Amino acid sequence: MAQSSGAVAPGLSSFLASLKTTPVEPSIEHLISLLKRRQIRNSRPCAVATTALLLRVVGEFKGKNSAKLVDRIRQVGKRLTSAQPREVVVGNIVRRVLGLVREVVEENLDVDTTATSDVGQNAPHSDALHRPSLHSSISTFSPLKHAAAEPHEIASFPEEMSDSGELVKRPPLLSSHTSAAPMVNSLFGLFSQPDTPSTSNTPTGHQSPDSKAMLTSVNLERLADFSSSKFDMKAEVMDGIRELQDELDQSDDLMAAYALDHIHANEIVLTHTASTSVQKFLLAAARKRKFTVVHVETHPHDHHATHSALLTGKKRDGHEGEDEDAWKPLRLAGVRVVMIPDSHVFAIMSQVNKVILATHTVLANGALVAASGARMIASAAKAHRTPVVVVSGVYKLSPVYPFNTEELIECGDAGTVVPYEDGDFVDLVDVENPLYDYVPADLVDLYITNIGGHAPSYLYRIVADHYRTEDITL
Amino acid sequence: MPPKGKKGQPTDKSKAGEEEREEPLQAVVLADAFETRFSPFTLERPRCLLPLANIPLIEYTFEFLANAGVEDVYVYCGAHREQLEEYISQSKWASQVSSPFSKMELIQSTSHSIGDAMRDLDTRALLVGDFLIVYGDVVSNLPLESALNAHRARRQKDKNAIMTMVLREAGTRHRTKAQSTNPVFVVDPTKDRCLHFEQMPNKEQTHFLSLDPTLLSDHQELEIRQDLIDCGIDICTPDVLALWSDNFDFQAPRKGFLHSVLKDYELNGKTIHTHIVNDHYAARVRNLHTYDSVSQDIVARWAYPLCPDSNLLRGQSFRLQKGNIYKEDGVVLARDCIIRSKTVIGRGTSVGDGTVISNSIIGRHCHIGRDVTIDGAYIWDHASIGDGCKVEKAIIASEASISRRCRIEAGALISYGVHVSEGQTISGENRITRAKRKREHGEDLPRGEPDPSIVGKGGDGFEYYDSNEEDEDEIVDGLISRGPLYNLSNLALSAESISTLNSESEDDYEFSHQRSEAGSFVSVGSVDSHASQHAHNFDHDAAASIYDSLIEGHESANIQLELTSLRMSTNASEHQVRRAVVVSFVKRIIQLIGSGSNVRDAVAQVFGQHKDLLTRTMFDKNSASGKVDQVDFMLLLQADLASRENGDLVLLTAATKLVEMDVIEDDGMMEWWENPKSKEGDDMVKVRGKTQQLIDFLSQESEEESDEDDEEDSD
Repeated sequence: MAQSSGAVAPGLSSFLASLKTTPVEPSIEHLISLLKRRQIRNSRPCAVATTALLLRVVGEFKGKNSAKLVDRIRQVGKRLTSAQPREVVVGNIVRRVLGLVREVVEENLDVDTTATSDVGQNAPHSDALHRPSLHSSISTFSPLKHAAAEPHEIASFPEEMSDSGELVKRPPLLSSHTSAAPMVNSLFGLFSQPDTPSTSNTPTGHQSPDSKAMLTSVNLERLADFSSSKFDMKAEVMDGIRELQDELDQSDDLMAAYALDHIHANEIVLTHTASTSVQKFLLAAARKRKFTVVHVETHPHDHHATHSALLTGKKRDGHEGEDEDAWKPLRLAGVRVVMIPDSHVFAIMSQVNKVILATHTVLANGALVAASGARMIASAAKAHRTPVVVVSGVYKLSPVYPFNTEELIECGDAGTVVPYEDGDFVDLVDVENPLYDYVPADLVDLYITNIGGHAPSYLYRIVADHYRTEDITL
Repeated sequence: MPPKGKKGQPTDKSKAGEEEREEPLQAVVLADAFETRFSPFTLERPRCLLPLANIPLIEYTFEFLANAGVEDVYVYCGAHREQLEEYISQSKWASQVSSPFSKMELIQSTSHSIGDAMRDLDTRALLVGDFLIVYGDVVSNLPLESALNAHRARRQKDKNAIMTMVLREAGTRHRTKAQSTNPVFVVDPTKDRCLHFEQMPNKEQTHFLSLDPTLLSDHQELEIRQDLIDCGIDICTPDVLALWSDNFDFQAPRKGFLHSVLKDYELNGKTIHTHIVNDHYAARVRNLHTYDSVSQDIVARWAYPLCPDSNLLRGQSFRLQKGNIYKEDGVVLARDCIIRSKTVIGRGTSVGDGTVISNSIIGRHCHIGRDVTIDGAYIWDHASIGDGCKVEKAIIASEASISRRCRIEAGALISYGVHVSEGQTISGENRITRAKRKREHGEDLPRGEPDPSIVGKGGDGFEYYDSNEEDEDEIVDGLISRGPLYNLSNLALSAESISTLNSESEDDYEFSHQRSEAGSFVSVGSVDSHASQHAHNFDHDAAASIYDSLIEGHESANIQLELTSLRMSTNASEHQVRRAVVVSFVKRIIQLIGSGSNVRDAVAQVFGQHKDLLTRTMFDKNSASGKVDQVDFMLLLQADLASRENGDLVLLTAATKLVEMDVIEDDGMMEWWENPKSKEGDDMVKVRGKTQQLIDFLSQESEEESDEDDEEDSD
């Protein structure tokens, strides 16, 4: 009786377990409600849940038309992101999967029709062509804003709505693209461009936001032909998603591999929150070197997790399975760990050699959204000229551009800051309790991802590598 | 028992056959609390569909249950079943695809109290294992895991631990707590066992708590707590239902059930436990006052993640802005209107120039004109407010329209579709509605005549006023209890300010005020005016049934049984029982006389056969001081006969017979004679004229007795 009662509350583990047996549509609804109810939260669980769900969506997808598959994934993605726009990672994963589908399709196209002129035109995925348009579309559109702008249509039915909804919002994008297009197309297209945009196969504004996007009609027809022949698009996409899952699994270890390059003997390192990535990163360095970690408590959101992470190497009691394996606590690895309250950060900063931050999301401009307290730490570090290193998996890197930083920041339960029991206080005082901080790019010196270390100003490049332009607005 | 890792999944049905499925966690939602605290709104809509921060109340309850991993949900509906059914069937909770519940069933009951509902539930035998009982108005983000685990652990050890109540700690003064009545829990903290429960002020209207001395000797530690918010979340075992059934007079779960079960611990040996939490949010929207405070809590994010910007409802798109302002897409704001903090504005609402809105919740598609000031108001969907209005802490329901330059003072309730014409001031104690009474199944809503003195001339002429001064038929109808139930401004101040209200006599107001916030449940004690809803039914039914029985010559005991059950089910008072008995007896006597028998025989026949029945209606036989019940009985008899032909003669005969049978004692008869009420009015005096003989005789007798006594004494 009692033994089974441990897992009453739904969460990531129950979701993953149910995914095997439930059909797709209920699973999507299930994830949406879990996201809304905040029973799955934080980047990694969201990412894991989203990939698992998308794997299922692709697996159940019938038919071989890739454009339809793209549409389907997009639909699901829209519903998920509108359910919880602040979990940017969900959108990231959806975009990655969309990119995956397109890649699979194009690869096969390339193989099949090497010599046609279409491919020649289709090929210019060179970065030179890509980047300007990417940038402009990011800056005109925050997917977050866009997604949040019309969840009703999304919920109540995307198929027809999505196109018309986009059409309404399209004009600014169109103009920004067409203005960019002549530049890349050189002067030849300067005058012909506005009249006959579809004649050229370059990703002009007219096409790119369309759901069919890069897959122009010509390509699609061809694809339809040959998809019936041999290549199994679905299997390849699913393989790709599994790779994505592996990436999620391994990103911590990959990042940890860079630890020795950044942490030196006898350094004093300051960090906060009980982030698995950071803990593993430090642990990897501790195998070879002796150093001191100053751990900020992160009251009131994360202090329980921080305490238990420091003591036992487990994030939270009772949440087994949710944050995968436990690790050896730092202090047992021979690292001296000092825990300080958040208020002491500035005082101790002069002693610190390096600040290592975990993050919730990294934005395209190099800024980050991290657990509250991060901005204070980063500012203190700036004042003391202490380098700030952010450890973050690539999956947290988002093409979202922060126009309205307030919107990215979630406000939490006021009850964790002040006791709800205090009736008079509750009556008279309004409490705001932001769960995250926005840390501008200029406060960060280095990002360490699973593919290496990068300067904040270079992040846009990684964004361009990982996300397709046409997927940026979901 | 919930299977591990399988909780709250969308389609548990598909896996129902799987091996590891054990008993699912079940929940009963009491959608109707059998109260009228939200009238006049509840005349047209069920209470659990009233919007709280633009989301129907019951959504919060379902969210809570989904959070807790409940699988089977039974919704107990009372009034407005069809509306609730329609709503649920269209919501995400009923659809196979999106519902986290594997079963969602609506139960219609004819019950008039929670107690009846519970007994009904017991007979249905739907619940197999441990289950939750919640109201359709619980707002909570509490994870129930620990409470459930604690309950199960206790249950394994001791089969008699039948119930666990989840209580939220709050300070001594808190806006979300019940204000004038305080539940007091006596808890043994070592075992989390609840030992005693009392609702203050208690039945005797005192503030004294009397504890059984054995509690003090049996338990090393005792906590007497009144700082708890009782959010009505109970984890029960089926034994609880059995207990309800055994005690068919229990009506209210706390005042009745809990109080008695704890008191009779020696008898039944069942223990009830508490699970006191000091984090997370848990509250019930039990009256309009808590409606206000829970709304504020939600907007201020105390109930996170149950916030407007979580968009719990399908198709909602609220976004949070600085200062707890929540706006949905498609809100049209004029350029120079000012939206202050703690405001929620729904889709399609337009706000005019120069309007200032603060601390308010405004629904969808509302129209708000220019230069309007709205502070602390609750405005539901499709309402319109004209230019230059001033709205304070009031509730304006859907489709109501307020014309220009009106003033809605704090505490006013404006129900569905009401139209207030230009320049009118609605004062705080007004509750304006268009519906005369509850909507019956499929029937059109009856509408009353408009009253221009309240909504002004030129109002559409459809308005009906439910303010306490006029509106007598409403009270006879028994749907709305008297007095302003809701007066936010007064409640927000203190008890003193209540007395400054000029609307009603002091007592009446005091009473209704207390009612409005009185604990959670229909109280058994304060029957007379508040149970008027059932009173009318009872009078009619009981009188008819006794009369029929008399004609058919049923036995006294059978009539008695029938009468008792009727009384229990309608929660009628002793007075009403007596009235019913008197009315039916007199009717029968008159009938017998009419059919030719003489008065004496008729009386003897009717009264003589049913001595038991008569004695059971009066309970003060042995009390030395005053014969209140007997006097009451005689008064009723007298009043009833006053309008009858030959009433005086019948009264004399009946009174003689009653004294003869010793149903009414001599003292009782004398007391009645002296009672001023028996001399009120010509009819009354006339009808009792002949009975003078009896009284003379009785007084003579008693004099003789006292003479004898004297003599004896002198001897």
